[in-house]
Amino acid sequence: MAKHIAIVEDEAAIRDNYAAAFEREGYVVEAYEARDPAMQAFDVRLPDLVVIDINLKDDVEGGFELCRELRARAAELPIIFLTARDSEFDAVSGLRLGADDYLTKDISLPHLMARIAALFRRLDALQKPQSPDGSIKRGDLEIDTDRMSIHWQDQPVGLTLTEFWLVHAMARYPGHVKNRQQLMDAAQAVLDDNTITSHIKRIRRKFIAIDTNFDAIETVYGMGYRWLAD
Amino acid sequence: MNLKRQLLLVSLLTLVLPWAGYQFIHETESALRRGQQQMLAGTARAIANSLSQYRDEFPDMRGPDDTVGDQLYGHRLETRPEIDGYFDDWTLERESLRALPGVDGPIRFAVGVVDEAVYLYVEVSDRNVVFAQPGTIAPDDGPRFADRVSLINTTPFGRNETIGFAAEAPGQIVAYVQNEFGFRSDPTIRAYWQDVPQGYQVEARIPANKLGTHLGVVVGNTASQLETPVTSPSFAARTPGSFVTPSSRLIEAATASAQEGMRLLVTDTFGWRIGFGGDLAPASTEPVSAGSAWLRIAYDALVESGADAALAQPDPAGREQQAYITTALSGTESVSWFRSPESGRAIVAVAAPIKVDSATIGAVVLQQGTDEILSLTNQGLVRLMNFTLIATLLVAATLLGYATWLSRRIRRLSVAAEEAVDGDKLRNTLPSASAGDEVGDLSRSFSHVLRQLGDYNDYLRSLASKLSHELRTPLAIVTSSLENLDHEPLNDASQGYAARARDGADRLRRILTAMSEASRVEELMEHADPETFDLAAALRSTVAAYGDVYSGRKIQLETDLDTAMMRGSPELLIQMLDKLVDNSVDFTAANDTITIGLTTDERSRILTVANPGPPLPEQMRSQLFDSMVSVRRGGDDKHLGLGLYVAKLIAEGHRGTIDARNSDNGVIVTVTLPGENDGE
Repeated sequence: MAKHIAIVEDEAAIRDNYAAAFEREGYVVEAYEARDPAMQAFDVRLPDLVVIDINLKDDVEGGFELCRELRARAAELPIIFLTARDSEFDAVSGLRLGADDYLTKDISLPHLMARIAALFRRLDALQKPQSPDGSIKRGDLEIDTDRMSIHWQDQPVGLTLTEFWLVHAMARYPGHVKNRQQLMDAAQAVLDDNTITSHIKRIRRKFIAIDTNFDAIETVYGMGYRWLAD
Repeated sequence: MNLKRQLLLVSLLTLVLPWAGYQFIHETESALRRGQQQMLAGTARAIANSLSQYRDEFPDMRGPDDTVGDQLYGHRLETRPEIDGYFDDWTLERESLRALPGVDGPIRFAVGVVDEAVYLYVEVSDRNVVFAQPGTIAPDDGPRFADRVSLINTTPFGRNETIGFAAEAPGQIVAYVQNEFGFRSDPTIRAYWQDVPQGYQVEARIPANKLGTHLGVVVGNTASQLETPVTSPSFAARTPGSFVTPSSRLIEAATASAQEGMRLLVTDTFGWRIGFGGDLAPASTEPVSAGSAWLRIAYDALVESGADAALAQPDPAGREQQAYITTALSGTESVSWFRSPESGRAIVAVAAPIKVDSATIGAVVLQQGTDEILSLTNQGLVRLMNFTLIATLLVAATLLGYATWLSRRIRRLSVAAEEAVDGDKLRNTLPSASAGDEVGDLSRSFSHVLRQLGDYNDYLRSLASKLSHELRTPLAIVTSSLENLDHEPLNDASQGYAARARDGADRLRRILTAMSEASRVEELMEHADPETFDLAAALRSTVAAYGDVYSGRKIQLETDLDTAMMRGSPELLIQMLDKLVDNSVDFTAANDTITIGLTTDERSRILTVANPGPPLPEQMRSQLFDSMVSVRRGGDDKHLGLGLYVAKLIAEGHRGTIDARNSDNGVIVTVTLPGENDGE
């Protein structure tokens, strides 16, 4: 059964372009230009995945409101912010509201598709029993590649898709320096240096929240980052 | 010239005060004196008129041969001198003595009048006094001679007579009168011959009724009895000149006419003083004290200079020869002004002609003493001078202080404005902002301009990120459309165009990313947790990595330090280094060497990036690190001048400074960062 994707985006051209791309991939697309029509439709039927712009016409924070209401209704529903707002503050706010990913509009369609596919894959994996094949263990770190979840010292680390891919890229070959380009490719995104820096920071912070002695991610100045093996 | 000097110069204008005071006093002074002179002249005219009734008292009997030099003046004596051959009991000054040239030295003589007697005093310089013998005491015609004083006179009866004074011995002598009838001794004439070391002195009293209108003195000096004496006459003509004596009636009239404090003199046509009365009032004010030397100078500048006061005194010889009197005698009324610098006294004098039937028969001289300064007392003048001086100094000092205060305010304002512009403190309140005057206005205008400049700077600073933000949506439309287009069947040409459009969109995206980088760095800086790290180690690692990235340049690290601990965000600092190195690479040619240096001092870590590229244009140096400023010529479209701005943001975010300057061989960028302990 084809997955339903809802796009809430006030810019008609983008909305139509994304809709076309999603449909080409075989998804069923419902496009809304504002919060109210979207919510009315969601009252009838929830989609399988929602792509939301934050700024909805005059409703400057409309995307955030929408995200909050949707998350209240469906805890597992994948929500992606796709916005022109690239500030750290907005990204943090969006993720805190429970979004699975925060993307800026310069992401390319193929990258977007890959992420959406990944999110669906994770959703599917959650339905099935956990298989030992799909997991990588590196000391205290345990990566479930199917469910795209990570545990540190047996505690789950709440990472976004981008963060998961970054950790996954580094931890697969501990001790190897991953430069920025490699990390970008792994994260299916075009990110500038500062974005990668902030992602790494955020990842470290999430691990440190579990284990204050966490220092497995090393910065190799001028080159990139690497996962330190025990 | 600064404001202070200008105002000081202006304050010199207060010197107009004493000048105006001086002018005022001077004018008042002149006006008052003119008034006094006019008043005096009026009085003199009236007296002259009234004196014309005494025309008989003015000697007018002079013949055509009668010259001034031949005339003889009989001084009015106040007391009768004793006939003893000495001058000291005469009420005259020695200046009153008239001199004649003599053989052995000057001969001096004087004629005095008391009541009905005429007195004669003669002193003769004589090396060899020849006394008379019985045969030579009276006659004087040889063959033997003696030293002799003779009085040649015209008797009241018009006869010529000679009264001879010769002595057989010093002491009381007998006078012999010689006329056409012969000799006779005259017992009514008393005479005394006094020997003195340089000659002899003769004093005599002759009853006035023995003497007529003309009188002359002849001194005969002989070297021995046998020699004819050399005579020294008081007259040059064959016969003596007029005998002029003060007139009792004129003296009486003058004394009656002269008011209190005035001196009145009456002269005949030759200036002989034939009448007088009254005297000047004594000085009423204290003489100027010697200490007030400057006051003396002020007086001299203030008061019209007059002739010396001594010249106003009646002439001791009896003949008034002052110019103003001479002028009056020629028929014109005249005034004069005398002052005595020592006593602070001044004399106003007027001479008026006495006319009878339009002929001048004499002159009236009227003199009045006065204080030197008519308009003000000395104390008044001193006070005026002192007050104006104090006022001048006070005004000058006040203006100087005011100017200092004003120029300090303006200077502070200008310094603050400059600092505000230089140091990005455009929001600071400038000094004097609340003042109500023009400086306050200026300050507020400055603040306004600076605020606008600050707004503009903020606008510029945020322009890049705002622009990139606004452009992101249309760019997304373009890229997503192009990506959709990839899935549509296109012919080769269309695919070429689509590929080009994608390239263009990609470049646009990179530009937008660069433009928003600054705001992202600022954001990161706000949230960055500073950590203590080893800058030297980070640099070593980074520089090693640069070798791979920039294969066309040699990048080397020069430092003596093993460790250089500091607090901050290593990622951001490395990013700053990336920008600086990237910039250096752009400015250098292949195989050039870029040198990264690290030194420390007590307080800071100093990071340098040197490249051998072309020098920076001097005028751009201060703006080099501003947003969207690029010194690069030519069109490298991905370079927006944001790299160095980001570097500056990072350096300043670490409370450091960044600076670029030209060195001997290229350009050096220096970043100074606080050391480990000076961090947050």
